[in-house]
Parts: sequence; structure tokens; C-alpha cells
Amino acid sequence: MTDTAIRMDGVWKKFQRGERHDSLRDLVPAVARRILKGPQPAGELGKNDFWALRDVSFEVKRGDALGIIGHNGAGKSTLLKILTRLLRPSLGSYDTHGRIGALIEVTAGFHPDLTGRENIYLNGSIIGMKKADIASRFDAIVDFSGIGAFIDTPVKRYSSGMNARLGFSVAAHLEPEILIVDEVLSVGDYTFQGKCIRWMQNLLQSGTTVIFVSHNMDAVLSLCNSAILLDQGRVAAKGDLKKVVGEYYKSGGRFKPALLETPTARTIEFAAPTGGDLMVDPGERVTFTHTITAHTDSELSPGFFINRGEKAVVDTTYSRVRGHPLRVKAGDSVQVDWSVAFNLPAGVYEVGYHLGDIAGGYHEYQSRACIVTVGDDPRVKGDSFVALRLEAHRVQDPALQLAASRAGVLP
Amino acid sequence: MLADLKGASVEVWQHRELLEQLTRRDIKLRYKQAAMGFAWAVFMPCLIVLSGLIIRFAMAQISGTPLASRDIANIAVKGVGWSFFVGALGFATASLIGNSNLVTKIYFPREVLPLSSVAAQGFDSSIGLVTLIVLLPLLGVRLHASLVWVPLLLVLLILFTTGVSLFLACANLFFRDVKYIVQVVLMFGIFFTPIFFEPAMLGPRGALVATINPLTGILEGLRLAVVDGRDLSHPITEIIKGTARPVWTPWELAYSAVCSVAIMIGSTLMFRRLQHLFAEYV
Repeated sequence: MTDTAIRMDGVWKKFQRGERHDSLRDLVPAVARRILKGPQPAGELGKNDFWALRDVSFEVKRGDALGIIGHNGAGKSTLLKILTRLLRPSLGSYDTHGRIGALIEVTAGFHPDLTGRENIYLNGSIIGMKKADIASRFDAIVDFSGIGAFIDTPVKRYSSGMNARLGFSVAAHLEPEILIVDEVLSVGDYTFQGKCIRWMQNLLQSGTTVIFVSHNMDAVLSLCNSAILLDQGRVAAKGDLKKVVGEYYKSGGRFKPALLETPTARTIEFAAPTGGDLMVDPGERVTFTHTITAHTDSELSPGFFINRGEKAVVDTTYSRVRGHPLRVKAGDSVQVDWSVAFNLPAGVYEVGYHLGDIAGGYHEYQSRACIVTVGDDPRVKGDSFVALRLEAHRVQDPALQLAASRAGVLP
Repeated sequence: MLADLKGASVEVWQHRELLEQLTRRDIKLRYKQAAMGFAWAVFMPCLIVLSGLIIRFAMAQISGTPLASRDIANIAVKGVGWSFFVGALGFATASLIGNSNLVTKIYFPREVLPLSSVAAQGFDSSIGLVTLIVLLPLLGVRLHASLVWVPLLLVLLILFTTGVSLFLACANLFFRDVKYIVQVVLMFGIFFTPIFFEPAMLGPRGALVATINPLTGILEGLRLAVVDGRDLSHPITEIIKGTARPVWTPWELAYSAVCSVAIMIGSTLMFRRLQHLFAEYV
């Protein structure tokens, strides 16, 4: 018995863009072409082909939890479909050791006209449970789903939340050796989500191998012990969880507002004390320095924000804090210090800034200037507040003046 | 090839409980919210028998011979068999497409989908069969020793139907034209299969052509064994218009058996080799 649960070795998967020949009329010319030219080798791309996965290799040890992350279209679902035997790789090979259970589209096996009870048996056997197992776990499944009295109602009368909860509950009682989870923790309300997370943690403690695909980085960080980042079908990063999650945030494109066509001010530097990305303890104070220069007299409102996922944790501007805009004379440089105490729950945060003009529009907008990972501290419980302080002073540093003139901002 | 056949049977056997659940689902869905309920299962064979009766009545009018109760029994026996075949094909052809959410999301041997359609139709047809068993004595059909042939003939009918169903389900997944072809074939197939008539009525040459259809041997065998009480292991001749004409040879049965087994093996292999493409093409 090996201690490897899953091993993928140079897996490539080819897909075709656009329509295939779906009817016999289109088939005949396609077959004729194929006979004339010979079959296409598995490793080559045809005119409309593209690689959904390119040379993907990784290994998961028994009992490990691997997060698979990546932006939409990166190949995550294709990878899962290969692992669950729905697709066959075009090239390369993979091994799995152990009974695989998948929490992907947990309601796929449901039939709307059948009752909850009937669907539990149907869906249970579709995902690979024995009838006797379903019968013995039936009460637990109903209990977990919270469906209760509605169990003999056709599921078409269920709310979508009830539907999903029931589907998840059936799948949760499969007891696989390798569990593949795709974005299902977003099912149901907060109480149910909490139940699901607790259930996953129990599974991990009992030694189940987990492959977890999600866009929710907090869930990935709290459940997994390593991760791979997919980008256009390639493994862009793998290994250390926090590093890979950091890469994910850097690689993505997010909100980009319209910028002024002729900016009159720009950022010379936006930096944290250590330079690159940060790892901080909860409550640790960090000062970000934002050095701004302008080549005409400007009334600016520099902004500072911290995002977690899609949510803004901090979003403020100079003029909001001070009550007046930041006036920068032509050729001057101003350094704004944003000092933040990271009284925040453990997780990955993106720090960004912008350079707004008081007359409207942005000279600059940078949503991912720095990634800050707040570590886990058992003493910190729940959310706290951020004590934001702000300083501004004219820069006297000749080196910075020089940098500004080299950049062509100063006359 | 043997490995594929073995793989298919082992995997389907391992998923027999899924097959059972899907069959139950198909049966339940046919009768849920249907006011007539299980009467529908008898309705279809009844309609086939009734249309056969009209044709035979017309033929009797022209030829001047009265319509015998034996003719009704003949049509009823073959009609139930035919309704199983068409019913199974109709549902099985759509089984992979109709369950595309399962085909693209969850792995299990895909054979169980058309198989469950055939099994659900088998349940329906067994209701028709029970009705037939009650009705036949009323039409003057007695118990015969030749009924021992019936299990073999039913197995062949099921094998042939299952084989064709697997093939069509698979073909329909890749080419949507298949379902139109199937519709047309099912509508007119009854004229190419001796249900309303006996092959001997087509004359010696016509009878030979009619036996090309593998269903002919099976359905004619059923008729001869059940209604006429004839032993199928010997050639049978009947006096038609004063001349003795062969109406049955054991070779017909052998031919139908070979066809049924061959199409079953062929379809299983085709299904096995193509099913890894199902999720991509469906």
C-alpha cells in the first residue's frame, strides 16, 4: 500500500472550440477529411483545438488536503473531471488509490418529481452508495439536511437552498477515501455552511484525502495544507499554501475604473517597510508609504483600501479623513503614510491605492499593490477594528526628487 | 474484446443497485401525475392489437373467410412482444441525452441508463403480459407442452431489444438525427415485422424476405408455441389454399439467436469504447 492517494503525471487535455459535427450531414465531410489526412496525433492541436490542461503534474499524499485554485477558465473543472473519470486525458497519465467521492453539483442526480425520500435513495446510488448504507444513514442524512417534515414532498416544491442542502447531505454521507469538493461550501445559509466546514474538518482529521476547488481563499486557507494554482491550464504555482494563494491574488484582474486621459499626477512609490509582500501577526501595525508627485498644481485625493476576496475591509481617501484635498504644487512630491493596525482575522488581504482627482476621475488605480497575510493567532477572536492613522509631509529627500525628475515629471 | 465484455458485465453488476434505482425512477415517473396510472401499460398493446384486428377484419372481408378468435390471439401475442420492443427503443434512445446532467457530472457505467429504460419498459410490458395470460384462455388458447420454448424466446427478445437500445442510445448521443430515424422506424417498423400478418401470407419468397428481420423468428416462434402449441425444433408446414407451405424452420430461431447475441456483443463493445467521450460530446 502506497501513501500516495493521487498522482498526476504530465496530463494534457485537448478541447475543441465551437460546434462539433452533431448531425450525420456534417459527419460525412469530416470523416472524408480525416481519411485523407489521417487521424490527428493526440499531441497536436487542430485548427479549432486548444489545450484546457497543459502538462499538469502533482501528487497528493494520503490524508492531505490539496486546494486547487485559479481564475475562471483556468482548467480546474477539467482537472476534476479527469480525476472523477468523466474525461480521459489526451496525453499523460494519472493514478488514484482509494474510493473517490465527489461533491460536484450535488443535486445533479435529483429528479424534481420525486420526493425527498425517493431522491435520497436515487442520488445515493448514483454517487455510489449501497442501498443498505443509504438505509442505515437515512436518518442522519435527513437530520443533517434539516429538511425534516418535507422529506415526503417532491423536491420540485423545495426552495433551491433546501434542494442543495439535501444534495449535499446525501453526498456528505458517502464516506469516501478521497473526497473531491468543488465549490459546494457556498450551499445554504450560514448555519449550514458552518455545518459543512465542521464536517470537512472532521473528515480531514479522520484521514480522508481531500481535493478542494474553490474561489473562496479563506476556506482554502483554513482547510488545505497545500495548493496548486492553475493558469490557462498550466500549473502556475504549487506547494506552500500561503504562497500559492498570494500568487492567485496577484495573477487576477479585478475592478479597473476609467482613468484620466491626461494624468497630471503620479505615484513615485507605494511601499511597505519590508518592500515586498507581508506576513503579519494579528494586530501588527504596518505603515505604507505613498509618494506622489504632480507636474501641475493639483488637488488630489489619494485613496487607500484593503480587500479580502471581493469585499472591502478598508476603503478610504485622504479627503475623507482630512476633510480637504491634498494640494500638491507643480513639481512637488508628497509622501502620505497610511498606518494600519491589522486587527483582522487570519487570511489574505490585498492592499491597494489610487490617486483620485478632486475634480473627478483617477490619475492612477492599483488594486493589488501589496499582499498581506495575517497569521492565525489563537488569542485573537473574531473581527476587530482597524485603527487608521494618517500623516502627510513634503518630501525633502533629494534622492526622491531626482527620481521624480528622471521619470519626466518635473520640468 | 473479451476484456471489454467482462469489464462491462462486472461494472454493471457492481452497479446493479443503481440500475434498480434508476429503473424504479423511470417507472415512477411514468405514472406520477398520470390520471390513468398503470392502465397506460395495457393501453399501448391494446391499441396495437386493435389496429391489427381492423386490418385482419378487412382482409377477412375480402377473402370471405370469417375472422377467427385464433387470429386475435396471434396478433395479441406478437403485439405485446412488439410493444416491448418499440417502447424500450423509444425510451432508451433518449436515455443518455435525457440524463445529460448525470452523464457530464457523475461517473458510473453509462450502460445502466439505457438498461434501466429497457427494464422499466419490461415492467410495463409484464403488466401487458399478465393481461394477455388472462385473456388467452378466453380466446380458446389451451396450455401446450410447447410453452417450454417461451422462456428462450423471451430471453432472445430481451437480448435483441437491449442490444439495439444500447446502440441507439450511444448513436443518438453523437448524432441527434438518430432519434428522428428511430421515430420513423418505430412508426413503420410494424409493417416490416409480421405482427398483423403471418409471413406465409406473403408467399414463399416474401416469407423468406420477412425472416431477414431477426424479430420475425422470435415473434413467429412465440405465436406458434403459445397459440398453436407447435414444437419449434421441427420444421412446420401448413396447408394454405390447398398447398402445403413451410411456415417455420428451426433455422429461423437459430438466425434470430445469432443476431440477438451478435448485436448485444457489438453494442456493448461500442458502448465500452466510446463512453469516455460521452461527457465531452453530450
